[in-house]
Amino acid sequence: MTIPYTALLAAALALAGVVNVASAESATPAGGPRTPGEERAINLCSTCHGPRGISTSPEFPILAAQREGYLVAQLEAFQAKTREEKAAHDFMWGIAGNLDAATIRSIAQYYASQPPAAGRPGDPALVAKGRELWEKGVPDRSIPPCASCHGAKAEGVADFPRLAGQHTKYVTRQIEFIQTLTRKAPVMHGIVKDLTPDEMQAIAVYVQSL
Amino acid sequence: MNGKIGSDLGRSAALAVLLWVVATHASAVPSFARQTGQECAACHVSWPELTPYGRFFKATGYTIGKTFWSSDKPGVNYVPAAVMAQASISSVRNNSATDPDTGDTTSVMPRQNLPVFSGASLFVATKLNDYMGIFYQWTYDNLAYDDAGVRKGHSSIDNTDLRAAYKYAPENADIPDWIFGLTVNNNPTVSDLWNSSPAWGFPFATSPLAPTPAAATIVDGGLAQQVAGLGAYAWWKKTIYAEIADYRTANVMANALRRGLPYNDPGGVFAVTRNNPYWRVAYAHDWDVNSIMLGSYGMVANVYPDNLNTTTPTDRYSDVAVDAQYQYITDVHTVTAQATYIWEKQSYNASYPITQETGSGYGAGPTPANPTDRLRTFRIKGSYYYERVYGATLAYFQTTGSADEGLYGTTANGDPNTPNSNGYILQLDYLPVQNVRLLLQYTGYGKFNGARSNYDGTGRNASDNNTLFFDVWVAF
Repeated sequence: MTIPYTALLAAALALAGVVNVASAESATPAGGPRTPGEERAINLCSTCHGPRGISTSPEFPILAAQREGYLVAQLEAFQAKTREEKAAHDFMWGIAGNLDAATIRSIAQYYASQPPAAGRPGDPALVAKGRELWEKGVPDRSIPPCASCHGAKAEGVADFPRLAGQHTKYVTRQIEFIQTLTRKAPVMHGIVKDLTPDEMQAIAVYVQSL
Repeated sequence: MNGKIGSDLGRSAALAVLLWVVATHASAVPSFARQTGQECAACHVSWPELTPYGRFFKATGYTIGKTFWSSDKPGVNYVPAAVMAQASISSVRNNSATDPDTGDTTSVMPRQNLPVFSGASLFVATKLNDYMGIFYQWTYDNLAYDDAGVRKGHSSIDNTDLRAAYKYAPENADIPDWIFGLTVNNNPTVSDLWNSSPAWGFPFATSPLAPTPAAATIVDGGLAQQVAGLGAYAWWKKTIYAEIADYRTANVMANALRRGLPYNDPGGVFAVTRNNPYWRVAYAHDWDVNSIMLGSYGMVANVYPDNLNTTTPTDRYSDVAVDAQYQYITDVHTVTAQATYIWEKQSYNASYPITQETGSGYGAGPTPANPTDRLRTFRIKGSYYYERVYGATLAYFQTTGSADEGLYGTTANGDPNTPNSNGYILQLDYLPVQNVRLLLQYTGYGKFNGARSNYDGTGRNASDNNTLFFDVWVAF
């Protein structure tokens, strides 16, 4: 009388074992083995950051085509708990805490090599104002143009992050965090500390449109 | 009596101290949070409601993060256990019932307006390996009463869900195209990923003492912790979800899944046949900060009317439900809404003939006056949270069904009574830290067990059962 249920349970556990083996095989697709970063990005990071790093929720940043060095630096900052705004603390400390240096590098390479997200048009007046700030800064207040570090089209330069196509909400929030020293970025703090909320919004709407 | 009150106050005081310790050491979080290194907010809008990431965590078998034992260094990575406790105060609008014959007045609910330690749960909730995880809950009910009406704390198994899951991402996939899984659990819908089905649906806490409507469909907690089920599920591109399971009485080898329940008492728990199918299908879609689910679930349960006698014919309960969920989740504002409608057909293939023949049912089983009855339950709720700290919820619930004198007695007019009840819940929540919840809940009834007024023949009205409930709920 008791055999079927025990057998079912045993079958379930056995299937879990089979799945274990199968997964090792499926991790090696025809095009060559997946890197640890690809495996992690596809099977875990995509849950919040979207397929190939293009998230739909502005609560989570777009990672597609992001600068590799910047991604490594951020994952290391989450791991070291030196990037400590609430979302970093709640979501990313735990995720990054389980990564080794090679996997961090591999994840960064995966996202850096993905096609970028398409720009999304915004309010033309805000876009125009944002472009002005991006290209010229505010010389009167000694605010340099964003383009000088982040690139003419916000594509990112060296380890300075790509902002083109990024969610407006995410960009404004990060500028606020840097302004209030919630997120430690000494160079950026000096540059954005005098930006007004309207200016932040204009810059963020502009980069999202690129 | 005084000793008991004193001991309860002692427990309440001890709990207050514990709450203070927890509230001032907010880094103490339950075991899944220790496993993932993430905060409650990653998986929960407001526990137990799951975020899209929380659903992914559950669907993938609770396997994100570390196992609790460390293979490369001595010792453990984290404690794979967690504790939850609740203390509360309940107040019923009219706590007196008067016997129409003798004129004697009795209390409807014990401990009116007095603090009580409701109970506590121990969880073993952890990743077991890269493909398996477990959620196991054992609950101590401090307010269990024995047949003589004497309070007697009692502990028993609660919701339990052992999972094995596998993600399949073929070449060129950018997310796992398929998530497959198996679940062994002890409550139909406990394996579900959405909070519109019964096991994890609203209300998440209610007064442990106040009167509540009697009738409920069998998929709505009727078999909780009395059955063992094996289910298989698949989730395609996190869009189309399907699950099938088969439940049976949790006895013999599966006895652990109903440990502590009164299965040797007449009418204590349900005894069901060997095969009782459960199914669930859902369409889910996440976009921007929104998440929606439209689904259906149900089960067929073949129940022995006398839970101590499995040689008789059985009654059949066939449940079909539709449900929906919407979530809007940002860091500051969250809005969530869930609704479900459950239809149940009760076919008293065993109980009706024996009742007709002998005037009584099998053992402590039902004595229906109809060969078949219907029972329908509708629930809807909406919640708003500000920064996941301050919350407000409004809910409506309704159960309607066939009039059946054998099951529900007669009305004041002598007509067969119905199981009809309805009402609303207003709830305010405050979470000073993420693992401590203070809630103030008001439940108002429009109908109770068949009627708005004089529902029990003693002149008691539905609204007399309106309940104010204050609850302190901690998990660590």
